[in-house]
Amino acid sequence: MNCPECKEHLVPYVEDLLEESRKRSLIEHLNDCPACQAELRDLTQLHDRLVANGKVLSQSRLEDNVLDRILREQNVRLKATTRAQAALKLRRFIMQTRISRLAVAAAVVIVAVVGIYSILGGSTVTFADVIKPILNARTVVYDFILGDEENDPVIMHEMVVGSRIRRTISNLPGMTQITDLETGKMLALNDVDRTAAYVNIKGTLQERTANYIGFVRTVLMELKDSPDVERLGEQEIDGRKAIGFSGRGNNNQQLKIWADPKTAVPIRVELRLGQLLVILKNFQFDVPIDYSQVSMDVPEGYKLEEAEIDFTKGTEEDFIESLRIWAEVLLDGTFPEAIGTENYMKQMPLLGEKLVQSGLSVDEAGKVAMALPRGMFFLQLLETDGKYHYAGKGVKLGDADKAIFWYRPEGSETYRVIYGDLTVKDVTPENLPK
Amino acid sequence: MHETDRYYIERCLDGPPDDFRYLVRRYQAVLLANLAGKLGSRDSAEEAAQETLVRAYFNIQKLKKPDSFFPWLLGIADRVAKEHQRKQQLQRQREIVRAFSQDAPTPELSQDYALESAIAELPDAYRKVILLRYYGGHACNQIAERLDMPLGTVTKTLSRAYVMLRESLQQQTNEVQK
Repeated sequence: MNCPECKEHLVPYVEDLLEESRKRSLIEHLNDCPACQAELRDLTQLHDRLVANGKVLSQSRLEDNVLDRILREQNVRLKATTRAQAALKLRRFIMQTRISRLAVAAAVVIVAVVGIYSILGGSTVTFADVIKPILNARTVVYDFILGDEENDPVIMHEMVVGSRIRRTISNLPGMTQITDLETGKMLALNDVDRTAAYVNIKGTLQERTANYIGFVRTVLMELKDSPDVERLGEQEIDGRKAIGFSGRGNNNQQLKIWADPKTAVPIRVELRLGQLLVILKNFQFDVPIDYSQVSMDVPEGYKLEEAEIDFTKGTEEDFIESLRIWAEVLLDGTFPEAIGTENYMKQMPLLGEKLVQSGLSVDEAGKVAMALPRGMFFLQLLETDGKYHYAGKGVKLGDADKAIFWYRPEGSETYRVIYGDLTVKDVTPENLPK
Repeated sequence: MHETDRYYIERCLDGPPDDFRYLVRRYQAVLLANLAGKLGSRDSAEEAAQETLVRAYFNIQKLKKPDSFFPWLLGIADRVAKEHQRKQQLQRQREIVRAFSQDAPTPELSQDYALESAIAELPDAYRKVILLRYYGGHACNQIAERLDMPLGTVTKTLSRAYVMLRESLQQQTNEVQK
């Protein structure tokens, strides 16, 4: 074996791949050739160095870290998938109407106003002094609370000037609405992103809508000379001494009004309308209000949404759609513990949040946002008469055997019963769920 | 531990990442050797190796031929290394700006940084064989089977790789001595 041959076979030799005869002749050559010996030494050194380094690196503990990272990443992806699924669910709810996100806030308040109309009962009282400011004030400012005052209530702050009302809502910060009751229009403003939209409230809503003060005025006018108003005597109300009066409508509707015993200025008005409780308090009468605050023009620097929002109806279908959104999008598939205006309103910010997370376009989100207030509007028409029953607490969406809601439409013999799978059946009174 | 790559890959495709553990075990040294040479520190190499393996896991369904897992993995590692190098470069530039009067801290080198960086400089075909032989625990005949080449080609490639490694190591020594 010569040197070039030897060099060629050194690697196979080190790797122990040589046949016996060849190995022998290689070793013979090596014994006689210092150059090839040196070559072998170098090669073996490098080989050993590589083996040693390989051993060190093999002892690393990458696997736990890698597995951890994979699991973490999988969780992140899972959440993204859940979000995508939520967006898909939401897309299913999108209705034809084009509407901006402003509609959530806008619609809420309109609907809240609706119910009051039907309180007009046949009671009366002589409390002319107490009601005089309400009847005669040119401007009235007050807070308006829906539902349980003690339990994280939704508070609306309202300014009334003639037929115009300016409102802000405690759980929808940055949203302002200005309503013109004469023209049946509302201007909804988003003060955060400086957008504006006009909302059409003509039709049923306009007929049934009055501002609270206007409504209270009407009630008070009718009650003024009636002998049925009950004097409630003196009590501590909102930290002040107050004198109270109470009048009752013929559908178990109730109005209580508390006033300062010396000045006769109203402190608080409570209206119970069927299943809806409304409280007005922190009154200020005839305070100067800058007319620009109730202007129906889009403020400077605000971008007007192109399409007008139509909020002229709320149907049983809208209501069912709102229940679906509530269960599927807001609550992971179970119907809420309770419904009603107050509960609907408390869901609004959460719906807003979910819409933002869903990655839907503003347009699409607006359409979804519309469904909940429309459903609430429908419910409120029933609510003021107290003629509905809700049994959806804990029921899973899709459960066809459980009735979750029933009501009797005006003039109907039978009830409409909505089941957990959101189908509806007409049911005679004797067959109603117990 | 002695199943083929394909076996583990198919199990990963079906569900939880538990079986990926075996592939990590199998290739961690290969990746570390490859990456340490390129990135200069053990920490960076570990970080990049983890990143490579995580990416591989999440893209495993894109691997058309499960038997080519190794070259595919090296491809990912190369991309990750490039990204890290870019990051390191930016960081160094920032550090230079921040503390030009101070001496920059010496990066922590892995055990045999000279060797690893010499491997990193090898042309692809040679690097692959060296990595498989010393960091993937393959004997020459396994490499031949794996890379689909005659045994003689494997030993010749190794032989040529040794020459290049030695030249590269010698050059590094000379530079240090200058």
